[in-house]
Amino acid sequence: MKDFSEKVDTMKRSKRIEALDRRAVNKDGFIDEWPEMGFVAMHSPYDPEPSIKIEDGVITELDGKKREDFDFLDQFIADYAIRTDRAEASMAVSSLEIARKIVDIHVSRKEILEIVSGITPAKMAEVINCLNVVEMMMGMQKMRARKVPGNQAHITNLKDDPVQIAADAAEGALRGFSEEETTMGVARYAPFSAMALLIGSQVGRPGVLTQCSAEEATELELGIRGLTTYAETLSVYGTEKVFIDGDDTPYSKAFLNSAYASRGLKVRFTSGAGSEVLMGSSEMKSMLYLECRCLYVTKGAGSQGIQNGSVSCVGVAAGVPAGIREIIGENLVAALLGLECASSNDQSFSNSDMRRTARTMLQFMPGTDFIFSGYAAEPNYDNMFAGSNFDAEDFDDYNVMQRDMQVDGGLRPVTEEDVIRVRRTAGKAVQAVFKYLGLTEVTDEQVEAVTYAHGSKDTLKRDAAADLMSADDMMKRGITGVDVVKALAESGYTELAENILNMLKQRVIGDYMHTAAILDEHFQVMSGVNTPNDYMGPGTGYRVSGKRWEEIKAIPHRINVNEF
Amino acid sequence: MEVNEQLIRAITQAVVEQLHKNGAQPQTQAEMQQPSGTQELAGRTRMRPKHSYEGAARAAQGTDPKEIVIGVGAAFQTEINKTMGGIPLDEVLRNVKAGIEEEGMTSRVVKVLDTSDVCFMALQAAKLSGSGIGIGIQSKGTTVIHQKDLYPLSNLELFPQAPLMDLETYRKIGRNAARYVKGEKVTPIECTNDPMVRAKYQVKAALMHIVETEQLDPEKGMIEWEGR
Repeated sequence: MKDFSEKVDTMKRSKRIEALDRRAVNKDGFIDEWPEMGFVAMHSPYDPEPSIKIEDGVITELDGKKREDFDFLDQFIADYAIRTDRAEASMAVSSLEIARKIVDIHVSRKEILEIVSGITPAKMAEVINCLNVVEMMMGMQKMRARKVPGNQAHITNLKDDPVQIAADAAEGALRGFSEEETTMGVARYAPFSAMALLIGSQVGRPGVLTQCSAEEATELELGIRGLTTYAETLSVYGTEKVFIDGDDTPYSKAFLNSAYASRGLKVRFTSGAGSEVLMGSSEMKSMLYLECRCLYVTKGAGSQGIQNGSVSCVGVAAGVPAGIREIIGENLVAALLGLECASSNDQSFSNSDMRRTARTMLQFMPGTDFIFSGYAAEPNYDNMFAGSNFDAEDFDDYNVMQRDMQVDGGLRPVTEEDVIRVRRTAGKAVQAVFKYLGLTEVTDEQVEAVTYAHGSKDTLKRDAAADLMSADDMMKRGITGVDVVKALAESGYTELAENILNMLKQRVIGDYMHTAAILDEHFQVMSGVNTPNDYMGPGTGYRVSGKRWEEIKAIPHRINVNEF
Repeated sequence: MEVNEQLIRAITQAVVEQLHKNGAQPQTQAEMQQPSGTQELAGRTRMRPKHSYEGAARAAQGTDPKEIVIGVGAAFQTEINKTMGGIPLDEVLRNVKAGIEEEGMTSRVVKVLDTSDVCFMALQAAKLSGSGIGIGIQSKGTTVIHQKDLYPLSNLELFPQAPLMDLETYRKIGRNAARYVKGEKVTPIECTNDPMVRAKYQVKAALMHIVETEQLDPEKGMIEWEGR
């Protein structure tokens, strides 16, 4: 490396190379493979060989390790995530043969799920290594749980302004997102954020699910109170050390999962390549193998789904060779295990528009349960997940891509009139609820600014200290989703109150806890159970057609021939 | 250019024959899982040699209600001397302490050797602190203000994007921590956000965190660290 830089100092520079050096992609971070530190995507020389031994129905050897040497991940996986009645038969099928069945249109999703239920994490990694990215996409097209793909939005802003959260949530719901997730710059804003998101989402389109990503106990409490309808950030990791550093075990995550389930909340776990590297404890294993372990833990804990695809560690995964291939690979592993897959794309990782778009195509084209988890439905400077791969300024590009390829990416074009209308209603509704519940004041000027705003640079300043005291007070007073319904109903927002009441009813009905469930505008569940993916090659599965195709076609800025 | 059709045909035929002879044999598992780490990094297992904290004094429990403990990372001012944004760690510490003193409180610096997770570092500092308020600072610059009775992954204020931090922000962190001690109504420091931070810095962040984590010495726990 030293020689090279010295040469550059004295060497006359090529104008072409200089032009290339200035390209955005060269601002990205790249690093050589370094398996000892976990900087390796698909396969590390230290990854174990697949193996399994079962005695009296108990797994006594897993991927080359004896039961007495198991760490808690091995033990959890051996005890809860592999079907011992299937294991012998499944392990006897070669990895290449399983990989070929995944791509073969004559082999059904059900048959694959059956085979895969008996293989070990190391075997799973081996199967994925047999597939190139196109084959992985074909696999995803078949293995995705829900028939129709979906999309999720991030709804956040730099000021943690609840009025803007409500307006962006309303617009996002209008644009077609089935789920909306918020988080905070200042964690203690969580109660306001969760409540504003719930209200705004139901203005834009009834039935949109919402979550507030916060510290686990806070998030659970918000869920129990009915201020959110699902949870997603139950993080699992591929090595014992990283689990312990977070004060967790697979068992504690399983308990937390049950805590949500007991109150009728939809839950998915979160994991992804690179987290163990970032935390400095990868045990020299490949990102893919470690992620397989995460996904087996997720399945063993009884979660219906996962948010994965490197997620917030994508800068690391994308920095190594074949990192983007690994990401669609781990999405596919989730689908192969029968889990709902919210396939990331939710974190910026490249300065290059070309590279960030290419990365997303791997999930966009085959379709996943949630292509993004989520898409920044605000300008990226307001995205408090440190930037998403796509943001509000990409809405039209995305809509055009759906139209170009006749692909359902989960969004739809909207009119300016509708955007302004739902944003204002959402802002007004939050104003009314805050007033009714005696929280901090929301002024008319604020609602007006938010209605026409693109991001928080266009909105008014709030008194953050007063908001935080009020949010704290809201928690102390035990305010719940029912109080929000009451506040809306008594402030004249009858229909909106009914929508939110309907969201609260979901947790009693419980159907949306099935794999990959979303709700339509009539609060009807569409999941991998009642609308399963039945793709088996051309002429089968989900095809964009009819009303949905007309909707996708109707982008703004089309030439009007009559006025030409 | 003239193209010799016959030649092309001959070449094509030869290639097709070869392909047939090979019978489109599937690759072996080993071929599909190409070996990695072929570059100079292969085999290396550390970033920096291990620092010895032999004889270092274990950090004591604080009793002064005005005291704020600053818990710094294991590689702080030893293996790492600048934040990810290039700010000297000496200056970081000087500004946080100055902020605390401006509000009439006192500070004490400890080095956390049993965890490199910034939330846990800050919480441990808070628990050690006479006031119950603590600040955790990783060597790459990531900072958290914590309070001893909060959940570990909760916090009073979190500054996750180290490359965006400047000395003024570190000073404000000291000031705000002191204001929490005084029980004032505190306005959190305004958030900053660079949506491209991951693309530019995450690989570097991983390397810096490895340097920090490999210096951990859980037996030693927390040690007094006057800082420089």
